[in-house]
Amino acid sequence: MAAVATCGSVAASTGSAVATASKSNVTSFQRRGPRASVTNDSGPRLVSIAGTRPSVRNGQLLVSTGLPALDQLLGGGLAVGTVLLIEEDKYNIYSPLLFKYFLAEGIVNGHTLLVASAKEDPANILQELPAPLLDDKCKKEFDEDVYNHKTPESNIKMKIAWRYQLLPKMEIGPVSSSRFGHYYDASKRMPQELIEASNWHGFFLPEKISSTLKVEPCSLTPGYTKLLQFIQNIIYEEGFDGSNPQKKQRNILRIGIQNLGSPLWGDDICCAENGGNSHSLTKFLYVLRGLLRTSLSACIITMPTHLIQNKAIIARVTTLSDVVVGLESFIGSERETNPLYKDYHGLIHIRQIPRLNNLICDESDVKDLAFKLKRKLFTIEVDFIS
Amino acid sequence: MLDSLLALGGLVLLRDSVEWEGRSLLKALVKKSALCGEQVHILGCEVSEEEFREGFDSDINNRLVYHDFFRDPLNWSKTEEAFPGGPLGALRAMCKRTDPVPVTIALDSLSWLLLRLPCTTLCQVLHAVSHQDSCPGDSSSVGKVSVLGLLHEELHGPGPVGALSSLAQTEVTLGGTMGQASAHILCRRPRQRPTDQTQWFSILPDFSLDLQEGPSVESQPYSDPHIPPVDPTTHLTFNLHLSKKEREARDSLILPFQFSSENTKSSLLRQQALLRPRPGQATSHIFYEPDAYDDLDQEDPDDDLDI
Repeated sequence: MAAVATCGSVAASTGSAVATASKSNVTSFQRRGPRASVTNDSGPRLVSIAGTRPSVRNGQLLVSTGLPALDQLLGGGLAVGTVLLIEEDKYNIYSPLLFKYFLAEGIVNGHTLLVASAKEDPANILQELPAPLLDDKCKKEFDEDVYNHKTPESNIKMKIAWRYQLLPKMEIGPVSSSRFGHYYDASKRMPQELIEASNWHGFFLPEKISSTLKVEPCSLTPGYTKLLQFIQNIIYEEGFDGSNPQKKQRNILRIGIQNLGSPLWGDDICCAENGGNSHSLTKFLYVLRGLLRTSLSACIITMPTHLIQNKAIIARVTTLSDVVVGLESFIGSERETNPLYKDYHGLIHIRQIPRLNNLICDESDVKDLAFKLKRKLFTIEVDFIS
Repeated sequence: MLDSLLALGGLVLLRDSVEWEGRSLLKALVKKSALCGEQVHILGCEVSEEEFREGFDSDINNRLVYHDFFRDPLNWSKTEEAFPGGPLGALRAMCKRTDPVPVTIALDSLSWLLLRLPCTTLCQVLHAVSHQDSCPGDSSSVGKVSVLGLLHEELHGPGPVGALSSLAQTEVTLGGTMGQASAHILCRRPRQRPTDQTQWFSILPDFSLDLQEGPSVESQPYSDPHIPPVDPTTHLTFNLHLSKKEREARDSLILPFQFSSENTKSSLLRQQALLRPRPGQATSHIFYEPDAYDDLDQEDPDDDLDI
């Protein structure tokens, strides 16, 4: 009680805080809001870009990855200027989903998208984005999804340890009218008008490159060079790095690169153990990280690491990325028939979380996470079995 | 399912080995698609044209469009070839088709191409050829393309084979036991789970496909049949299950701190007994001798609370 009195007197010295403290009796600690700073010298103002929020741990600006459960595991979201690397599962079924959730989140928030792929046309990728679940009807659908999938055993109310029934699972229900992190219905497509209203750039490798280029050793493969030039042009022209100081509202650029490192990009790390271009991918990631750190952008990359022959390259790639998430699906492995894993479709491994302006990183306590793709939602749960 | 392999389109890999050769299956599939009226192109690199055409009747032979790269692979004779770029040029030319007729391209063999061309270039060209019809806008103008590639597994390391498998829509691995050939078919549709199936078959002398019921038919999941699934509840030293009497006793147990809302005498007595120990009972006493260093706060704020 004495402590509050002293800080009340400190707060009284700054004129605006006293007024706010007396109005709301919660606490005397008040931030000087924008209404108090009418003068030019207003102190640090929060950059309020749609779809971002500052991290409560280290003040970094965060964007949502499109999956609120994954956001929670990463400590609130993906920091602007960092790379999220997804190690693809063996048959490439679940990693495109995470890729699409990231892009769909960008469309819903009004961010600019840059989609690069060597396999599919980016316009086709955008047509297949999941539809967002918005506010009131989504809560109803979420609840009925949860109840439909409850097994009979879990319906028995716990009698002795009844407090544990109130323990929340890792999944969070949709928060109505939240501006950060939306839910998506994987069985429906995003409405066409939302896609057309968004600002997106596509990079489809077969269109951009002619096939008779000669590659010198120890340099970037031409596909990677073109992609880096493309990204750099977009960042510069649209002012994401602050180079065009115009009137426009600041926005985030979401970059999505699909199947990086596969032979379709012209990179042979999946084909040979000691190819001529073994440094191409690592150089690409290094330059990409430099581009991202100096601009307001966030990037998601999916990579077929199970095909890379030289394991040292995987270690280098992990170090050069910021957040690394690995997906391991149970299809085709002996775990598929294991009764302990029957509710889940695979395991999700958080391999690395960055330390941004920190000495420690924000790891979650649980390491055994499993995911399942329900009828509409992709959920990540703590795997209580192992 | 073996007979509907080409219905899906895309790249179909036929992986054979020394014991179970795949060229006869390749020829059988080529014959089947020729009889269906599709356009068939053969890129013959490994065996001569006469050897490949052997066994086909003239009707089928007339329908096959054969590109011979066996006789003169490096084009030393400098004749007017239809495809000057070698096999890669031939494949690239096929990327630019505009026919609505479905096409089957048979590569005999893909191993030959993989040993002589860089793997990445080959993957890019194969992807471009086999995915011409996947644009949703103009799917009606270009017919479905199937690329059948014969791959000799033992010639390559895991890298190139893995890279090609990830590109392939369907992968057929040949095997068998006791003289009976089998094909393990793994089908990857773009956004669905892969399905696999084992089919026993034999090829008749006129290269038609004869599907059979082999020793162990039907799809085998990847679990090993010799190891039974482990039941963790066997051989325990404690009892995990309740008998009926025990279950009834457990259900009728009244929990100590759960009080029902009714004010029956028994529940009131129970409540009193737990929350307020009766003075007559032999409760335990605590004797407290304050030390010199103990700081007893006379102004204990909790005294105001009235429980």
